Order: sequence, then structure tokens, then C-alpha cells
Amino acid sequence: MSGKPRVLIVDDEPDVLLTLRMILEAEGFDPALAADGETALRRIDDESPDLVVLDIMMPVLDGWFVLAELAGRSHRPGVVVCSAKSSDTDRNRAMELSADEYVTKPFEPDHLVSVIRAVLSRRSGAARV
Amino acid sequence: MDQLPVEISQRIRHEARVAGLREARAPSIEMVERRRMQLWFLTVVIVIVLGLATLVASWSAGTVLVTGEPWILRAAVAALGLGFCVYAVEKEIHLHRLSRLLVDERILNSAMAHRLQMNAALFNAGKALNSVLDLDDVLDAILANALDLLGGATGSVMLVEDEESLRVVAVRGSRLARDAKVKLGESIAGRVAKSREPLLISGVVAPTDYPGYEDREHTTASAMCVPLVNRGQLLGVLNISAYSERDFDEHDLQVLSLFAEPVAAAIAKAGLYEAERAHVAQLLDSDRMKTQFVASVSHELRTPITSIRGAVSASRRQITPEQRVELLEVIERQSLRLQSMVEEIFTAAKMEEDGNRPLLRRIDLAALVRLAALDSQVAGRPVEVEAPTTCEVRADPEAVRRIVGNLIENGHKYGDAPVRITVQPTEGQVVLSVVDHGAGVPAEVREKIFERFYRMDPNGTKPGMGLGLAIVRGLVESCGGSVWVEDAPGGGAAFRVALRTGAIEESSREVAHVG
Repeated sequence: MSGKPRVLIVDDEPDVLLTLRMILEAEGFDPALAADGETALRRIDDESPDLVVLDIMMPVLDGWFVLAELAGRSHRPGVVVCSAKSSDTDRNRAMELSADEYVTKPFEPDHLVSVIRAVLSRRSGAARV
Repeated sequence: MDQLPVEISQRIRHEARVAGLREARAPSIEMVERRRMQLWFLTVVIVIVLGLATLVASWSAGTVLVTGEPWILRAAVAALGLGFCVYAVEKEIHLHRLSRLLVDERILNSAMAHRLQMNAALFNAGKALNSVLDLDDVLDAILANALDLLGGATGSVMLVEDEESLRVVAVRGSRLARDAKVKLGESIAGRVAKSREPLLISGVVAPTDYPGYEDREHTTASAMCVPLVNRGQLLGVLNISAYSERDFDEHDLQVLSLFAEPVAAAIAKAGLYEAERAHVAQLLDSDRMKTQFVASVSHELRTPITSIRGAVSASRRQITPEQRVELLEVIERQSLRLQSMVEEIFTAAKMEEDGNRPLLRRIDLAALVRLAALDSQVAGRPVEVEAPTTCEVRADPEAVRRIVGNLIENGHKYGDAPVRITVQPTEGQVVLSVVDHGAGVPAEVREKIFERFYRMDPNGTKPGMGLGLAIVRGLVESCGGSVWVEDAPGGGAAFRVALRTGAIEESSREVAHVG
């Protein structure tokens, strides 16, 4: 992996996008934004981010659709689902759709950063093997 | 009466023994008649034989055949004949008694069989009442039993619909229309319902007495109608009618009155059961909606808290002064959002309280709508307004502000921008319409969407707590107006709010002064 890791933040809440972008930028990542599932898929195709921080409840195409779409791909970015849906059913569903981690809102931003780093490191380790 | 009286059986056995029918274990009237015929035939034969014997004895007196005094012989023959006659009369008396006892026995047997049949029918009716909770099934089972027992051809149960009419709820054996209505005081059923007295009609019944009848194939010859009363309350009537081969009497009417009791009990019980079932369904529905509400609130609270915590966390990192200002704005915006949610929950809870009366005064609805539209435009949610320059209504300005605000927010949530608002003054009221470009509201949930906690989007892909429209309805009604939703011409939903333009009532005026 060369340069800053590219992270696509997908959330329909502008203030979440804004704050996460600042935090990830300050933590040495290269963040990009999407406010709905359709934009997210387009940016994933165009920019091939290393990781996607994905909200579930969004207009146009929701996070479940994006997850299902990515699950069918051989080369896909790491996915950290970041949702206000806190039930085990939702968590299990996300993991079945190949999400790497599931973080429930509201979260401790530092925890999210460490989860993102852990997933990226796991994936780069797996890629080297 | 479950058994024949023992006394009759004993007397029958005694008389049978005395009358010479001891070999018969169960003597019948036919056997008695046969015995009586035999007895009198024998008596006649003996009398004739003895008479002939006397004549012969007189004729041959002094001959070789009869010696001695002929009168002794005649007296002996006469005594023999008389003795047998006494015997025959005595038997006849017993046979006559036996015959009457047997007739009594038959009558008792028949009465007992009828009573047993009636008890069985009532038992079945009671069984139906206890085993089936569905009122239609209960009434049908009871009608079937009553018709069977009374030999009726058609039957129906009519229930009190309101203060003026009865409605047919169960029919058997006829094409009497279910749900047909009969006015109280009119026709047989209506008259019985009004008088609460059973009615027996014998002879051909006029077709006009049976409303709902259409092209009847048979002529009704006899009819009975009894009121259904439970704990002093009239519930309806039970009708039975028969064709030409059957004619009801007072006894039949009594029997039908017996049926009225379980029918009335069944109706009362089913009514209670229905009310209970509806109550349970309502509680379950309310419970489900409250669970959904807790999930919605929890979700709605999580989002602004996430932004605030994110902003605080970001502000602790190396950021530019411009970014810091931006983060402070995020914190302010999201804390205002939390505050508005808390207010919304508080408003919804407050509407439950009694005596929460708004301050009604004359306000310019058009001006308020333009202001609300402007606020929405500033927040990036475009609104088109079509309203007269001024338009007075009688309402609470704070309530109207919330009503318009909530409807605009709802329109943007469920449809594409812009939301369109019109204000149309009509006779005595003003109709405010908020029209969106969404999918519209299905007819079956047009009432439900105004209930607290109800959400058209149970999966929660749209933000909200299910309180916005409930608050709208509560506030509109507190201002004496009404709110409803319909399909907008050209698609989408049109929420209409009708507010009155009339003079302010004294009580409201006083409240306004106090406030």
C-alpha cells in the first residue's frame, strides 16, 4: 500500500460526513464522501478506495444494497458498517454480507479510527500472503 | 319429567292382571279392545246357549229326558247366566279402566318425548353457545335447533342496530336478505321489538310483514316472533315461520321463548367477546407501535449524538480555525435538532393531558404560511406557496406554525421537492393544503398515519419518530379544525387542514386574555 489509505465515507447525514472527513484527514487517511448508495458504488468503481465506512439507512440505494453488490465482487474494498441500527439481526446480516466490522452509532471516533486501521492492516496482511 | 309416574304403571299392571291380561307384560290399547271383544262375544254366546238350554228344558218337561221339577233347572240356568253376566261386567269395568290408563300413558309418553326433544334442542343450543365464540355460528346453530324442534320452515335473528331499526344477522331456510333492516314498530319483528311481547300469528301472513323477502316460493301460514332480552336490555328478535302444513300454537310460542334466552345470552356474550378481542388487538397494536417508537427515538437520537461526538473529537485534532468554526456549527445544529426532538416528544405527551387548551385568536394564516415556507427554503427545502394576501382564521399561532412546519417536513421526507402549499378560503373556513410529490398514502392507512408512533416506513429508512402527524392532528383539533389526507391531483399526497374563520367563543377569548 503506497501513500495515504483511501477511505470512502458513505452517510446521508451531512454533519457525520463533515466530522468524519476532518477526523480521518487528521489521522492520515485520504477521505472521500458519498451521501447515498448509488454515489457510493459509482465512487467505488471510479476510485477503488481501500475501505468504505458505510451507513445502512440511506436514500436512493441503502447500505444493504451496497453491501450485497460488493459481496459479489472478487476485488472489493474493506467495509466497516457504521449504523444506528443496533440489533444483532442487523449485525449478523451485515457480517453475512461480508462486512469486515460493524460499529454502532453513536461511536467513539477514536474507536472507529482504530477499527479502520485494524481492517486495513488485516486486509493488507492477507493480500501479502 | 324424566320418568312416567310409577303409580300409573302399577295401576296398569294391576288392572291388566284383574282384566285377565296377566300374560301381557306391556298391555296395549289394542290388546284391551281384543280382550273386550272376546269377553262380550263369550258372554253373548253363553247367554244364548243358556237361553236355548232353558227353552229346551221347558219344552221337554215331563219327558224321559228331564225328570223332577223343571223350574229348578230353569233357575239354575238363569243363575248361571246371571253369574257370568256379573263376571263380564266386572271385567268390562277393569278393561275400561285399563283402556283409560293406557290412553293416559300414551299421552304422558308423547309429552315426555316432546319435552326430551326440546331439552335436547336447548342443550344443543347451549352447547353451541359454549363451544363457538363466533356469533354467526352460534346464531345459526340455535336457529337450526329451534326450526328442527318446532317444525318451522324459515327462521331469522334480527338485532337492534340503533334506536330506530333492527338488522337481520342470521337467516335459515329463506332468501331473506342478511343485513336487511326493519324499522322499530313496523312489521312483525319491529312491533315485537317495540312491545317486547312475544307474538303468534296463525293463518296466511301478509308478505309486507316480512321485509327483505323477495319472490317467496311458499306461502307463510304461521309465524312466531319473540324478543331477545338480556339483563333488561333489548338485543333483537327471534323469528320462526312455517308453511301451510304447520300451524303454531301458544305452546310453540312458549318453546320459542325458551330459545330466546340462550340466543340473547349468546349475543351478549359474543358482544363482550368481540369488545374484548378488539381491546386486546388495540393494546397489542399500541404495544407494537410503542416498541417501534422506542426504536425510532433511539435511532433518531443516535444520529445527532454521533455528529456532536465526531465534532468534539475532530476539534481536538490538528485543524484549521475555519474547520473549528465549522465544527462548532455542527455541534449547535445537532444540539438544536436534539432539542426539537425532545420538544416534539413533550408536545405529543402534553396533548394527552386534559385541559390543554390552545389560545385561540384571529391570525393571518397566509402570512404564517409564507413565514414557514421561508424558514423551509432557508433550510434547503423548497416550498411553493399559493395564498391570498391575507386570510384570517381562528387558531393558536404557535399551533399553526407547528402544523405547517410538520406538514412541510413530512412532504419533503416522503416526496421530491418542492412541496406545494395552497390556502383557500371557503364558506366559514379556510382549507390549507400541503401537497407533496411522493407515492401518496394508501387508502387503508389514511387514518392510521395520524396515530401516535405509527410509521409508514417501519424499516426506518426515513428519519422520524412517528409523532409529526399525530401532533398535527392534535393541534388542528385543539383549534377546532380537522385534518385529512387524500390523493393529490397528478400524484402524491395532499394533506388538508380545515380551520374555522368564525367569531372567537367567549371561553377562548377569556383564556386568551388570561394568557
